[in-house]
Amino acid sequence: MTFPVLATLLTGGLAALDAVPVAQTLFSQPLVTASVLGWAWGEWRVALEVGVVLQVLAASTQPVGARTPEDYASGGVTGAGLALALASQQSLAIARDGCALVGVLAGMVTALGGVPLVRWQRRRNEALSRWCEAELRRGHEGALAQSHRAAVVLAFAVGVGYSAVSLGLGFWVLRRWVDFESLRLTHAWSVAEPLWLGLGLAQMLHAFVQRRLSRAALFGAALIATWLALMVGAP
Amino acid sequence: MTSRLRREDLVRMALRSSLLQATWNYERQQGLGWAWALQPALDRLYPGSLERCERLAEHTAFFNTQPTMASLALGAVAGLEERRAAGEGPDTDGMRRVKSALGSALAALGDRLFWFSLRPFAACVGVLLTLSGSRWGGLGLWLCYNLVHQSLRLWGVGWGYREGPEVLGAALRRRLERLTRLVGQLGSALVGVTIAVLLAPGGDSRPVSFQALLAIGLAAGLVVAHRGRPSPTAWALGAGFVSLAAVWFG
Repeated sequence: MTFPVLATLLTGGLAALDAVPVAQTLFSQPLVTASVLGWAWGEWRVALEVGVVLQVLAASTQPVGARTPEDYASGGVTGAGLALALASQQSLAIARDGCALVGVLAGMVTALGGVPLVRWQRRRNEALSRWCEAELRRGHEGALAQSHRAAVVLAFAVGVGYSAVSLGLGFWVLRRWVDFESLRLTHAWSVAEPLWLGLGLAQMLHAFVQRRLSRAALFGAALIATWLALMVGAP
Repeated sequence: MTSRLRREDLVRMALRSSLLQATWNYERQQGLGWAWALQPALDRLYPGSLERCERLAEHTAFFNTQPTMASLALGAVAGLEERRAAGEGPDTDGMRRVKSALGSALAALGDRLFWFSLRPFAACVGVLLTLSGSRWGGLGLWLCYNLVHQSLRLWGVGWGYREGPEVLGAALRRRLERLTRLVGQLGSALVGVTIAVLLAPGGDSRPVSFQALLAIGLAAGLVVAHRGRPSPTAWALGAGFVSLAAVWFG
């Protein structure tokens, strides 16, 4: 279990970097990190179940202006990582859906809990930028590189640390509950999954349609045409 | 005026723009990252260390825009710095005004294209691939977004440098707006396809309970989308706990 856990923590650090400080390639999106963790743990089904739900919810959180959005980079890694760690303890395949439910809930709590941490890093960077400007005015050109190195190292360390604490705490608190209540949790997953997917997809639809009738018509036509094609095309 | 900046300077600026938000903060937002990305151009233009440091310090002031679109502004400002180094360009105040105007205009277009259209569109592509049984949904999402994001980041500096502060002219603005509109239309259709695949994956209808709960989620989501608070995540968390309670006590 050492490799998957280390891979999960490393993914947490890399996702924290990608989310805002470095490149913003969307590596930090829950579906991408869940795919990486699915490969690392050798369990794709649970990883992708958690990844899809967290992804539709994360797609509508926008990092626009000075707003601090929910930290779905850490949330995605913690959610999928915790679900996979719990699922690895289950012998029955049916009980793994319960792990997915716990993973998604933990992912959302981690995403909400990460907001103050991101704000703290941003406030810390204020002091760093003031220091950097003063050093530049003194002729110390290397201050720019030093500031960037410090900010990147801090973001990576916070990402790894936060993922480690969330995962460890989640596993320690929830393991026994999942062991004893796996069937109920699996049943709850069958209720919560469609609700979550509906909530997330509606947010996406709202973002695309923007009260334009033509786009709403396009959505309806695509839905009906695909549904008919699936039903008629099925044997 | 002959060009003093070389191709490799522009490439280095484009690569460094990946760290534009590394030191993001509430006071100067992308200011420090902006100076870091512009440094290769200033290294070339100002051989004297003291003058270069002074210019770099000036550029650490407040700046904010959509991070991908910042490449265009970087190129344009590098061109202005080149003129300034030759004694022709704007002074410090003029430079600040150009940066501010470019930053706002690029953010207005970039936020709509990247954050409100392309990002949810890429997410939808990834989710649809995964729901269709593929393991490559995550990769699909990543590629779909980066095809546009990395192309603009890498080539944007060159465009900005060639076009100058008029980089966001009518032609480019029209092209970006057309792309935003296209992504919005394709995204609307893609959400429809995704919901159909959820209702009947592979042609097998899901149980009525699943379909009803999906419809409830969609209706609730459309209501929630019009409200700023609580956030959609808080609503989703609430829906999760309600599901748990329904199973436990139902």
